[in-house]
Amino acid sequence: MKLVSPLARSQGGARALARRRPDLRGARVGVLDNSKPNADALLGRVAELLVERAGAGPVRVWRKPGSSRPATVIDEVVAHSDVVLTGSAD
Amino acid sequence: MPAVVLGTDAFVSLAAAAAAALGMPHLPLVAVPHPLGGVAPARIRAKAEVVVDQVLAALTRDPAPPAPAARAVVAAPVEAPDDLDAFQAFALAEGWGDGLPVLPPTPARVARILGGRRGDEVVATLAPRRGVATLEAIAVNAALAGAGPEHLPVIAAAVRAVAEPRFNLNAIQTTTHPCTPLVIVNGPIAARLGVNAGANALGQGARANAVIGRALRLVLQNVGGARPGQEDRATQGHPGKYAYCLAEHEAASPWEPLHVERGFGAGESCVTVCGAEAPHNVNDHGSTTAGALLLALAGTLATPGHNNVYLGGEPLVILGPEHAQTFAASGWSKADLKRALWEGARVRLDRFGAENLARFAVIDPARFKDRPPDAEVAPCARPDDLMVVVAGGPGKHSAIVPTFGATRAVTVRVEE
Repeated sequence: MKLVSPLARSQGGARALARRRPDLRGARVGVLDNSKPNADALLGRVAELLVERAGAGPVRVWRKPGSSRPATVIDEVVAHSDVVLTGSAD
Repeated sequence: MPAVVLGTDAFVSLAAAAAAALGMPHLPLVAVPHPLGGVAPARIRAKAEVVVDQVLAALTRDPAPPAPAARAVVAAPVEAPDDLDAFQAFALAEGWGDGLPVLPPTPARVARILGGRRGDEVVATLAPRRGVATLEAIAVNAALAGAGPEHLPVIAAAVRAVAEPRFNLNAIQTTTHPCTPLVIVNGPIAARLGVNAGANALGQGARANAVIGRALRLVLQNVGGARPGQEDRATQGHPGKYAYCLAEHEAASPWEPLHVERGFGAGESCVTVCGAEAPHNVNDHGSTTAGALLLALAGTLATPGHNNVYLGGEPLVILGPEHAQTFAASGWSKADLKRALWEGARVRLDRFGAENLARFAVIDPARFKDRPPDAEVAPCARPDDLMVVVAGGPGKHSAIVPTFGATRAVTVRVEE
């Protein structure tokens, strides 16, 4: 039998990603903590390792107002960072 | 801005879906071994070591552009088996179903449910997939759920309500917390459709409750794109995720009904959605006064494990009609009950563990930070945040329904 699919279309749209840098020497690392437990510890440690091993830095940390709330500081993160680390879910 | 997203391997499917919905299916994702929560700091540092090279690569190498196949799915006619049992297997394999048998959404059945209404009207865009809920897409899922044309206005109203930003649908759809939209129907349409407000209102047996609740769930899964175990990350979920709908028993309530309290006319038909846990029963066969009955209700609400106690929001109380009459007989208004329950359902801080207290102190410093162990917190920010409705049949039972917390209930008029 012929049926109508219940999987409706999505709003779609495609976005280009920012060009990557050749290396992270002197790159300001923004950390956007999604405020899940230990996200700050993981992201912060990864940022530290990028400083130690790839010459990145300085590191600056922002935090979402809650894990189930959108970030309110995106513009500020963009203004003060060259690369960004963030978390999704747990 | 070159960015990389980190998450645990158990949640990568959600991160990938979120990136795709935003038009960036090629956004670099780096997975660390699950879990992060409840893990000692030394182990977190070790997990960082494991992934740092991947993070470095993700920030210094351009990812390949997405394949065209990663683009949005477009609804198109589908050929399915004629045999009804074979069709069940087909529907599950296509990801259309909820595990219970579904009815085939043939063009004729969908047209009958639409009943001449315009199918291309966009009712809402639904997270996390940014799926476009046209009236036709809602009707197709209503057809799957076994609904009739008479149910469509209520289902569409519920879809419109969950898409209101204050409902926070993206979080409700993807959280590990066991919540789902509870649909509360008020006004004349409830009786007209036979939405059960009486005995077993939250249980089985009434078609309207079943198909309205189920159709909304299927819309959320199929249009919103919250597939169980993929984007819908509920750790356990709850049985109301199959269907969670009731009407308020307005005739048995001593007070104004929910939709009137929320600004609508008594004669208007409305639906209210709230991102709700399963109901927890309050059994009180003994109390004959409001003050005594309050103890059972408040004691059941005052627990340290629900979301409202640290995130706020609007916990729901579904009073059985006999319990509602006990409060009314003591001269209590609904506002009196809310105030007394808010004051009575306090949780002492020494009932929370130290790690949780530290976490809650960051989320809500005013209530949790640097306070003595015998300080108490209320179940939500203010008395009026408690929602109270009356439903059920004869008997001495009520229900406490905590919510997701980071959500507000939304009431909309049913457009017929």
